[in-house]
Amino acid sequence: MGNLVSTVFDRLWGVDKELRILILGLDGAGKTTILYRLKIGEVIETKPTIGFHVETLSYKNLKLNVWDLGGQTSIRPYWRCYYANTAAVIFVVDSTDKDRMNIASKELHLMLQEEELQDSALLVFANKQDQPGALSASEVSKELNLAELKDRSWSIVASSAIKGEGITEGLDWLIDVVKEEQM
Amino acid sequence: MGVDKKIKKFLRDAIRVAPKISDKGEVFELRNGLVSPYPQTRKDAIRKIIQQMTSGKDVSSLFPDVLKNIATQDIEQKKLVYLYVANYAETHPELCILVVNTFVSDAADPNPLIRSMAIRTMSMIRVDKIMEYIETPLRKTLADDNPYVRRTAVLCVAKLFQLNPELCHELGVLNDLQSALSDENPMVVANALAALHEINELDPGCIDVKKLVSENVRRFLNVLNECTEWARITILESLSEHKSVDPMESREIVDRVVPHLQHVNPSVVLISVKCILMHLSNLNTVPESLYNKLSTALVSLMSTPVEIQYVALRNIRIILDAFPDLLKKELRIFYVKFNDPLYVKIEKLDILIRLLPADNMKQCQMLFNELKEYAKDFDHEFVTKAIQSISQLAIKVSNGGEDTHDKFLNTVMEEFISIIQDREEFRDISMICIGDLLRYDSDSNLIDNASRAQLVAIISSWQDIETVFTSDLGSCNYIWFITNYTSESLETKLQPLVEIFEDLGTLTQMALLMGAVKCHNSVSGSFLENILQLCTTDVHDLDIRDMAMMYWRCLSIENGDQVINQLFDRHEIPKLHSTLDHFSPEMLKSLLQELSTLSSVYFKPISQLQHRSNDVHIIKNKNLDELKGMATNEILKNQNDDVLLDMGNDSGTRSTGVLDELNDLFDITGDMGKVNISQNKNNNNNTSSSHATDLLDLM
Repeated sequence: MGNLVSTVFDRLWGVDKELRILILGLDGAGKTTILYRLKIGEVIETKPTIGFHVETLSYKNLKLNVWDLGGQTSIRPYWRCYYANTAAVIFVVDSTDKDRMNIASKELHLMLQEEELQDSALLVFANKQDQPGALSASEVSKELNLAELKDRSWSIVASSAIKGEGITEGLDWLIDVVKEEQM
Repeated sequence: MGVDKKIKKFLRDAIRVAPKISDKGEVFELRNGLVSPYPQTRKDAIRKIIQQMTSGKDVSSLFPDVLKNIATQDIEQKKLVYLYVANYAETHPELCILVVNTFVSDAADPNPLIRSMAIRTMSMIRVDKIMEYIETPLRKTLADDNPYVRRTAVLCVAKLFQLNPELCHELGVLNDLQSALSDENPMVVANALAALHEINELDPGCIDVKKLVSENVRRFLNVLNECTEWARITILESLSEHKSVDPMESREIVDRVVPHLQHVNPSVVLISVKCILMHLSNLNTVPESLYNKLSTALVSLMSTPVEIQYVALRNIRIILDAFPDLLKKELRIFYVKFNDPLYVKIEKLDILIRLLPADNMKQCQMLFNELKEYAKDFDHEFVTKAIQSISQLAIKVSNGGEDTHDKFLNTVMEEFISIIQDREEFRDISMICIGDLLRYDSDSNLIDNASRAQLVAIISSWQDIETVFTSDLGSCNYIWFITNYTSESLETKLQPLVEIFEDLGTLTQMALLMGAVKCHNSVSGSFLENILQLCTTDVHDLDIRDMAMMYWRCLSIENGDQVINQLFDRHEIPKLHSTLDHFSPEMLKSLLQELSTLSSVYFKPISQLQHRSNDVHIIKNKNLDELKGMATNEILKNQNDDVLLDMGNDSGTRSTGVLDELNDLFDITGDMGKVNISQNKNNNNNTSSSHATDLLDLM
């Protein structure tokens, strides 16, 4: 009975509820930089992530539990361990890395086929726009075959984690979508 | 504002959703709890999981989900997850890589508890992949500002060494470990020392710990007072193994260690005693007060719980063998209390007899009265030990050599006469003790004839001998007694034993043989022949068989009688001086060095306690290799002999052919084998080719 009451309570109030957001992408795309850009608003020096980073941030009265998973080939198979209860996925792409665009596309579509992620929203960051020779957002969208996605709210945003451009815009969109779906 | 916070807090408490058991199974529920969006629910789930883990249930299937909760600000939750990871890492080695990042960042956490927790858990996980990433956190924590973290890191080096010695050498952390010995914090010093000892045990050639210890003796002495009990034990252990350079250093060590004799922890006391004893021989003069302090320390151990008392008693027994005068004034403390457990009682009796000053008649009499009381106890084993102690006491006192002491032996004999009369169940041990006393008295005749006669009368009257004695030694002593002190109807007394000859113990068989031969004049020829026959045909023991053969020979030659009488002349048999057993000098030396360890409780030096299965394995391999080598050499030698027999020209080629075959057979990879074979080839060449080429070969 106590459980029931408390469950009702938290559904009503949404207090302390955390939204799980995953940041995925190939190695060196800038996931960790984006995470700490969100957390502390600064660019930090990063090392390749072996495993994961997780940070809790408050954003527009919401508690976000943001997971940044390592993107190395050896760690990618373990992404699936983190899919459960995920509200949204942020997929980060290195816009300058044209050679590996098809690998990124493959990983993205493979991930989205997972049942646990059927209801989660997708935000793609076409990152590293500050670098010369970066593909534009629409070009990246084409490379990733994003048009094929059905039954899913998705968006692609051009960003530069170093300069801090596009990150908040992308997150704003994501939060709006998630709020509608989850609350 | 305050109200707002209170409401919030109330709500937070209210929405704790404990994972409940549903139809889908507990593990499913727990998994759901772990990925819940509510932090408190996740924490409760982790608690539940740890609870199940500690009660022995296998919850390893939740590994990936538990891992996700490792990155948290909540130190309690972190600790729980670390506990889980340490326990189940080996079941999911591939997933462990996911925690590396957290380990590394936790090792740089502002909280020292988290830093040390991270490095401790990281070095505990026996997964190769984790080891690759240990360098940065280990270095960082080894040079940490906080002594607690440094202390943990230092121990981690030893753990790492156990898992991967090559990596340790590669990272050079062993040098860090050695420099940690001069750390300002006593805990770090002690732990570094413990780590070095551990590494030394794994790979003795790796670090010269002895040299390091001798360089740091002064440091150790300085930090000793500020250490915890464990650290003190480590340091004192090293100090006791240290060979001091001059008496001055020994003096200093002893002076600094003496205060620790009063420590509350019995282990610290015992190791301090050991440390002082080890350095005692180096001192120029040993003040009497030092012995008193050692005695007091050992006596203080007698007021601990009985289990610890037992350990202390076993150690005291060893110490007394080397320093018999140490506890002389403390006899009373070892008197048996009625509520002592049996194992303590028996050890105490052992020590009482050893401690007793033989020249103090009053104390001897007191102890004798005490032992007589013990002998009336209900516990069979204790009474047996008490009776044995009485005889040991009598012999020890009589060795004092004065008149009063001689009378004592007779008093004891009377006691024994009453014991064998009244207490049938202790005939075994009484018989053995009477035998001992009579053998002790073999040439001095202290025991008066009246009691001898009484003994003979009582013992000769015993019926059904085959059922009276339960032990080999008991019946052996009985036979010795009646063949030495009676001459009437020997045959009838021994016949029942002869009938069950094959079932008798070796000692009894031997006693029967010797008794019958000794009294060959008073027994019938057929009886004697029967025993000799039995001893030469039905006995497996070689000694008995040889002895029987020899006696038979002696009896069948001319003057056989005389030879036999000479052999059994009572005055030729050496006198029994003491029935107290002592350790051999080498044994005593190694046991003293291993005081307060398990080996001192078992009375077995560490070298005799094979505890590492690894070693056994390695030894086995070595044996196999040695055997292989020996077999090869043997065959080669035979081969050589063959070659030497036919010196024809074709011998060289033939033998090399066979050698090649041998090579294939044993697949020799060791250098030894190769050398042997090439030498043999040279030898063969000797026979067929000229000396000049031979010399060239040798060059």
